[in-house]
Amino acid sequence: MTNGWVDMKNTDMMLIMGGNPAENHPCGFKWPIEAKRTRGAKIISVDPRFTRTSAVADLFCQIRAGSDIAFLGGVIRYAIENNRIAKDYLVNFTNAAFIVRPGFQLPGDTDGVFSGFDAKTQSYDRSTWNYAGTGGGGGDSSPHPPGGTSPAAPKLPEKVEFDLSLQNPNCVFQLLRKHYSRYTPEMVERITGIPKEQFLKAADLYTSIRKDGDMKKASTIIYAVGWTQHSFGTQIIRTAAILQLVLGNVGRAGGGVNALRGHSNIQGATDMAGLFDSLPGYLKVPTPADTSFDAWIKRITPTPSKPAPWDSFNYSSNTPKFAVSYLKALYGDAATKQNGWAFDYLPKVDRNYSWVQMWDDMYNGTVKGMLAFGMNGVAIGPNSKKNIDALKKADFLVVGEIYPDETSEFWKSPGITTDEMKQIQTTVYRLPCAGFAEKDGSFTNSARWLLWKNTALPTPGDARLDQAIVAQIFLKIRELYKKEGGKFPDPVLNLTWNYSNPSSPPLAEVLKEVNGKALADLEDPATKQQIKAGQQLPGFAWLKDDGTTSCGNWIYSGSFTEAGNQTARRDPSDPSGLGVHPGWGWSWPANRRVLYNRASCDVDGKPWDPSRKQVWWNEGQQKWVGNDVPDFKVDSKPKDHMGPFIMNPEGVGRIFAPLSAFADGPFPEHYEPIESPIDNPFHPQQTHNPVVKRFKTPDDKYGTPKDGYTVVCTTYRLTELYHYWTKNNPMNVQLVPEPFVEISVEMANEMGFTGGEKIKVSSIRGDYIAKAMVTKRIKPLMIDGKKVYPIGLPIHQGYRGIAEDEGKDARTLANLLTPTVVDPNAYTPEFKGFLVKVEKV
Amino acid sequence: MSQETLRIQKISAHAGAVPGEGTQREFQVCKLIDTTTCIGCKACEVACMEWNDLPFGQTVFDNTYQTMPDTRWNYWNLIRFNEHETEDGTLMWLMRKDQCMHCADPGCLAACPSDGAIVQYTNGIVDFQQANCIGCGYCITGCPFNIPKFNSETKRVYKCTLCADRVSEGLEPACIKSCPTGCLHFGSKDDMKYLAETRAKQLRDHYNFPKAGVYDPPGVGGTGVIYVLHDVTEPENYGGLPKDPHIPLTVKLWKGPLKWLGNLAMVGGLIGLFVHYLRFGPKSRDEEFETKREGEQP
Amino acid sequence: MTVTAPPYREHPAQAVPPGRILRYSFRERVVHWLAALSYIYCLLTGLAFWSPWLFWLAIALGGGQISRMLHPWIGLIFIAGVLQMYGLWARQMGITDDDRAWFRSMRYYIRNEDDKMPPVGRYNAGQKLLFWGFFVCGILLFLSGLVLWFPEYIPWSLRWLRYTAILIHASSALLTIGLFLIHVYMGVFAERGAFDSVIYGDVTEDFAKRFHPAWYKELFGSAPRRK
Repeated sequence: MTNGWVDMKNTDMMLIMGGNPAENHPCGFKWPIEAKRTRGAKIISVDPRFTRTSAVADLFCQIRAGSDIAFLGGVIRYAIENNRIAKDYLVNFTNAAFIVRPGFQLPGDTDGVFSGFDAKTQSYDRSTWNYAGTGGGGGDSSPHPPGGTSPAAPKLPEKVEFDLSLQNPNCVFQLLRKHYSRYTPEMVERITGIPKEQFLKAADLYTSIRKDGDMKKASTIIYAVGWTQHSFGTQIIRTAAILQLVLGNVGRAGGGVNALRGHSNIQGATDMAGLFDSLPGYLKVPTPADTSFDAWIKRITPTPSKPAPWDSFNYSSNTPKFAVSYLKALYGDAATKQNGWAFDYLPKVDRNYSWVQMWDDMYNGTVKGMLAFGMNGVAIGPNSKKNIDALKKADFLVVGEIYPDETSEFWKSPGITTDEMKQIQTTVYRLPCAGFAEKDGSFTNSARWLLWKNTALPTPGDARLDQAIVAQIFLKIRELYKKEGGKFPDPVLNLTWNYSNPSSPPLAEVLKEVNGKALADLEDPATKQQIKAGQQLPGFAWLKDDGTTSCGNWIYSGSFTEAGNQTARRDPSDPSGLGVHPGWGWSWPANRRVLYNRASCDVDGKPWDPSRKQVWWNEGQQKWVGNDVPDFKVDSKPKDHMGPFIMNPEGVGRIFAPLSAFADGPFPEHYEPIESPIDNPFHPQQTHNPVVKRFKTPDDKYGTPKDGYTVVCTTYRLTELYHYWTKNNPMNVQLVPEPFVEISVEMANEMGFTGGEKIKVSSIRGDYIAKAMVTKRIKPLMIDGKKVYPIGLPIHQGYRGIAEDEGKDARTLANLLTPTVVDPNAYTPEFKGFLVKVEKV
Repeated sequence: MSQETLRIQKISAHAGAVPGEGTQREFQVCKLIDTTTCIGCKACEVACMEWNDLPFGQTVFDNTYQTMPDTRWNYWNLIRFNEHETEDGTLMWLMRKDQCMHCADPGCLAACPSDGAIVQYTNGIVDFQQANCIGCGYCITGCPFNIPKFNSETKRVYKCTLCADRVSEGLEPACIKSCPTGCLHFGSKDDMKYLAETRAKQLRDHYNFPKAGVYDPPGVGGTGVIYVLHDVTEPENYGGLPKDPHIPLTVKLWKGPLKWLGNLAMVGGLIGLFVHYLRFGPKSRDEEFETKREGEQP
Repeated sequence: MTVTAPPYREHPAQAVPPGRILRYSFRERVVHWLAALSYIYCLLTGLAFWSPWLFWLAIALGGGQISRMLHPWIGLIFIAGVLQMYGLWARQMGITDDDRAWFRSMRYYIRNEDDKMPPVGRYNAGQKLLFWGFFVCGILLFLSGLVLWFPEYIPWSLRWLRYTAILIHASSALLTIGLFLIHVYMGVFAERGAFDSVIYGDVTEDFAKRFHPAWYKELFGSAPRRK
């Protein structure tokens, strides 16, 4: 989230789309309700189903799963056409005025792809996706280098051409207007199924906060995996970000683009390098092309790229400090300036190692074993059958869980015969792990708040803490390397492991290590503040690139200081009343609650809304002060025109995302899901996201309407159950005893079945059997002139649980249906909006 | 005697005065349920089960998100889900937390024949005292909200206590504590009425619900649980909330006129017969029909 | 069930003392007391449930829960008795013109001026009223009692059943109480010998002649026997 849960109480308008917070984040949902009750805020719910969020919304639009970009693009068009834009914000705080190179082409001008597309490799040459300008030579700040980036990759210009009148036909704003001029209400209706009038109502309501140029109000966009789980998921979020920049909502209290994380610590997992292509703190992983520490740093450290009269903080220029401190944290004294801070110890990522790829590799025999902790890989999918088949080929599987789950029992998944079972050679180790209440540690919530929790219960029986199991495996491996040597023992032997209990590292010590400490006496030249060697660092501003600091994750620096564990703070006070709660837990970065909060002020440093003052320029003190920690260079005078988006080399928000920022386009374009009931109405010859690749194993099949798969299916979770876990708890099972499929009354009538009857939902990959829930909350949609039936099904049941063991359940997994295909930027599978058919059982 | 006794202002089937009636300076407590901000998360259902240590029961899929069709003896708190289409075709998914309404004039208590099986505390909470319950189920008949539920094992009737145990310690009921959105409030009846009316006004003025209002039915003397409804004129849409609940007429007849008539008739009959005997005596006073049996002494 | 006119005088199962007439067979007496005692139990427990002032009755009879538990079961015995009685006596309980005349002259009966009454058979009209009253009320008590016995099985949509049942149960019980009071008064206090008859089964011939002359005539023909 750019903002946070509590901050939602400051909003005037909410677009909740691709998420169902009332059901999946009920505790956080108190803040949208608070905004309704205290500010008269409105909720617009856009969802494939009328959900419990829709039940408390002021306007509901039933959208076809996978058509979100069309809807949001339509709203952008509406905002521009009706002059409901934040003009000053747009000009000064975004790259709207930047001029794009002449060679750049929009998909509307070509055959549905941006300039530079190579159909053979299904990838883009992104050199035309750049600003016009001069100079440059620094790295680009793309978050995801696809595999190895060639050293000759194009760079952003140092001095960017611009037109503050926004009239230049090649300026970002004009390109944006042109690109989304095609997203007319009629087109939105054709693609999304939302009737034109209803869409216009929603667009009018959402943009009403910028009526008559008013800048006081703020609106927020709230989303979750309903957006991410598409083969163009990142681009949906980009569309939302553009809309929010156009409306001047980013950095504002009650504004922003807010991702709701689906588990208590998903944010923490991503921050701590849960993804293969980043190191902690989103440092980009080295690739084989990065032959030395310096080469790597040069590639990943951006240099400013901006209009000459403006200033850009370009905070990412500190990347070397973060990287050196990280390597010092990993390898301690073994990391020296001479050996490039032990850069060679770091694995070099040569290709895609994302979730889906991992299973594909196991299926193809290159991955031989798996350690599965805290997740139920078979059930999570996508394409559970492929995952089961992959595990059958593995040598070993280690599952650390609190219950026997589908993954650890993949070898007796329904449908498997005794003979087949005998063929499986995989050795399965089941390790009883600690439950969440049986361990301490911090959760990082969706709002980036780190919140420490204490152990509530002892672990039962032989169950062990997850970190103890991992530590013991590590110690054993280290012992083996010590004893037997090996090809390259250094990274293992030199890894820092200074925990008071090496075989079960206390998590507080791990957090201290993550926060970082001084390795030599340090002094801040400005304030003369001193830090002694060995002391905890107060924050990432102290990090050095000379090896005198260590820090496991720069964005978490400040979470465990000499003052103690900041994440354990529980001071509920909120002096500003804006929901900042500075003494409650600790949020990255630097305990800042709203990111880019400098944008909450106009160019002169005065808050857009005097009643919601977050930060402001104090002329007397000549610095930025506020109720929140300013996300800015505190002494940068407003007249210097430094951009508020300090992590971008441009210093401004990216309406146009240049170069390698995204694999599939600098502007989001509507593409159909891989399994779609229609051709893309914008460009039927280019229906899908052009860079999305299909997988090739026999288990990877993709259905089409021609094969009889015409029903658009989406999956989701319920309030009553938590993933594949609570089906083992009688309380939860009592609340939702059996799996079901939600279908419209019209569809049930047409097919001749009633609620409670068992039906079979089949995709080309598998079948799912459950009882029908016939409801008015899903209605047939008219999509491009065709009547399309949407259905939805919760994912929670499988073949292991109370209902399953009692035989109430059909023992099928929802993800037997879902396709293996991923978003090209985040590699998130397309769980939403695939094709199925429905039959009576 | 303990304060507990003094806190009782009404007792079922009780002959004579009630110890706490008018002797305590206590305000009416009240639970406010704002159905317009309920998200049907069922936290209140779980909290109720947890606080009261109620055993789990079996449920079956019933084409709804609602956990079960009705509350049970071991399930006192149930959110009722109802898909409702307004006249202009707008779909509403109404969710109403159903539980004992804690009527000021409780039908269960009126119908109960067992001394002390149902009491009403001076704070308005209507509480079943299972020790005194004889399991006749008359309370089930007396309740206009279908709340008391019979346990065939224990032969007793159970329902929501409004967490009388928590409330007496100054805590809010468990459901209130667990509600994530703040759709549930707890406090004095006056405060809750104010809060409810304020919210209803906001709904009418700002949120396009011209018929929004507060459900506090006068037919049962007002309730210790009040609702804010989007449309107070059609409470039935919220899973059968009665529009104008009363103690059933027959219960009133039975406990009212019939009782007095019956008592009068019984006492009158006894007196009448006695007077008849005094006036006319037996039909045959002498021993005229007495013939001695064999072996009997004359 | 058919009841043949019994040889009341010389019943094979029971020797009747000379000068006495068998009025109630052994079976009739058993059935009567079965019904009577179960009725009294239900009456007492029912009264306990009826009024807080009488709840002590339930306590005296073993407590409220026991009373609630046994009341319906004992009620079943009662209704079984009532049905037996119906089988035994229904034929004899037909209302005749004489009975209607009897009702018209009931004031004489109340004043113990029995000689002014129309001829009475085995049962006078009052007794027949008692019989039919108990029979009808018994059925009503049974049906409404079933509803009250298992209120938890009556769905909310059929709640009118419960609403009706409480009223019917109480009203019909009240009616039976009225009948019961008169019956006990008549049998124990007003008609000497009547109580004995339902214990021993027999009455004196004079009793029969005086209170049930038509029955006596039916038994012995028009010529009254000498004592």
